[in-house]
Amino acid sequence: MQYLILTLAAMIVLLPENGWADIVVIVNPDSSIVKLSRRQIIDIYMGRNPGLESGQKIQPLDQPINSAVRAEFYRKLTGKPVSAINAYWARLLFTGRAFPPLLVEDNKAMLNTVLKNPNTVGYLESQYLTERVKVVYKLEKNE
Amino acid sequence: MRKTTSCRCILLLILLCNQHIHAFDLGTERLRLSGFGTLGVTSAGKEKFGLQKDFIHDAQFGGVSVLTDSVFGLQLDMNLFQDLSMTVQAVAEDRARQNFNNIVDWAYLSYRPTPSTIVRAGRMGIDLFMLSEYRNVGYAYLWTHPVVEFYKPISLSHYEGFDFKYGRRFEPGFFEFKVYGGQTGSDIKISNGELALRMRPFVGANASLESDNWKVRLTYATTNTSRLDTPFQSLLNTLNQIPQTAWPQAASLRNSLTGKDKQTHYYSIGLAYDDSQWTVQSEFAMMTSKWISLDMTNGYLSVGRRFGPVTLYTVGSYAKSGKRLRIDPTQITVSGLDSLASTTQLLADASHTDQNTISLGARWDFYPRMALKAQWDHTWVRKNGGGLLLLKEPLDQAITLNTFSLNLNFVF
Repeated sequence: MQYLILTLAAMIVLLPENGWADIVVIVNPDSSIVKLSRRQIIDIYMGRNPGLESGQKIQPLDQPINSAVRAEFYRKLTGKPVSAINAYWARLLFTGRAFPPLLVEDNKAMLNTVLKNPNTVGYLESQYLTERVKVVYKLEKNE
Repeated sequence: MRKTTSCRCILLLILLCNQHIHAFDLGTERLRLSGFGTLGVTSAGKEKFGLQKDFIHDAQFGGVSVLTDSVFGLQLDMNLFQDLSMTVQAVAEDRARQNFNNIVDWAYLSYRPTPSTIVRAGRMGIDLFMLSEYRNVGYAYLWTHPVVEFYKPISLSHYEGFDFKYGRRFEPGFFEFKVYGGQTGSDIKISNGELALRMRPFVGANASLESDNWKVRLTYATTNTSRLDTPFQSLLNTLNQIPQTAWPQAASLRNSLTGKDKQTHYYSIGLAYDDSQWTVQSEFAMMTSKWISLDMTNGYLSVGRRFGPVTLYTVGSYAKSGKRLRIDPTQITVSGLDSLASTTQLLADASHTDQNTISLGARWDFYPRMALKAQWDHTWVRKNGGGLLLLKEPLDQAITLNTFSLNLNFVF
């Protein structure tokens, strides 16, 4: 019983306040991208630019449309609810301006897709991070 | 049986469009099918005063209709080569004139020579307003339908031609500049019957600056009415034959009521603000033309407040034509022209607009890519100001109209 109480107490202390770990933005280890600014990530994920200043084209990847991590990613990145982001992307798609990021199935699929494709940018919860990919930005849990 | 097959086809389309990547190696995405739709129920209009959300639609003279707001669209994007793609969009909705030419809303080639520039050629969406290229996509905007006072006067959905767009980040935001040219037109329904409108050349430019929460947009466009098949051409011909001495005003009346070969200029400014709680949008426009039907100012202000997945909003809008044409009977020097004069006055009044609307509504984003909306519009139309209505009799007194709409919007 004592162990159980201690374990529960430890879990409460260790859990992030909002229940979220950090979300990290990742690229392929062979990518020439070393770091991205918050502004660049917003432009990439809001369909404003298909490439970097260097001319390198980037394919952004998104988590499942109804996933909590996707909602949290856009909330932290843009400050807007995911419903506003979905409506924004409908505007871009149906005005022929840009295609939404490609959807992957989950955090593991995100990791594997980024590993297989050097021109992709993705994001995942930090507990799924491995040393095989490069972290180019971190959205802190308290943002 | 047919219904079941249609349902299966729609389900298959939705499944195709929502597929996640299963193979981790992306390769090149060649084909993409997307769609949008609105299932709407609308109560609008009165027995003698029909309400249209757009001149291309049939009007609703009271009662409840599922046709007023309902629309379904499919968009196919194809990557032909690197940087070259093709887009086709077909839209099914209630129209005054249904034909293949009107159903194909877009069909264009798009070439991106640099990351910042796009050149397109073919049939493309009219880009005059904040909503102009997506006014059929109800999910993409807040209201149950585009603001009638602002969007209805320009009932053009596409043009054939080219556009060139340049966009890049210039702090404090993302800047876009676009120029375009071509020809446009539409088959519309007005109080006097159907009207075929063709405009050429149609040229314009717009510029926008978008930051995280703000967007400001400026638009200018100009066009010449190159063809106009009107149901009242015989009246205009009769006015043309009246001698100056018999009715000095006849020539100027004919000139004001004739659309053909008239140049129209359109100027607008739009401002939008969107943060985690508030969503505000406003646009004001001015159209100038020697054709009285296209001489107008209009605008709206929309304010919405999010409460979780629900957004409550209100909209105030107005549209007002330029000076109303008034026939001066004392100028008529010969007898027998009274009937012609009163018919001319009715025609002038049928295209004169003076109305405003207050709307209250709610949008509920109950599921990703789906929204349910409800809206009430209360419209005041001034005496002889029913240019945005379909009139079965002259509007010789001010009226009010109530419109209730309930929509399910989705994209896939």
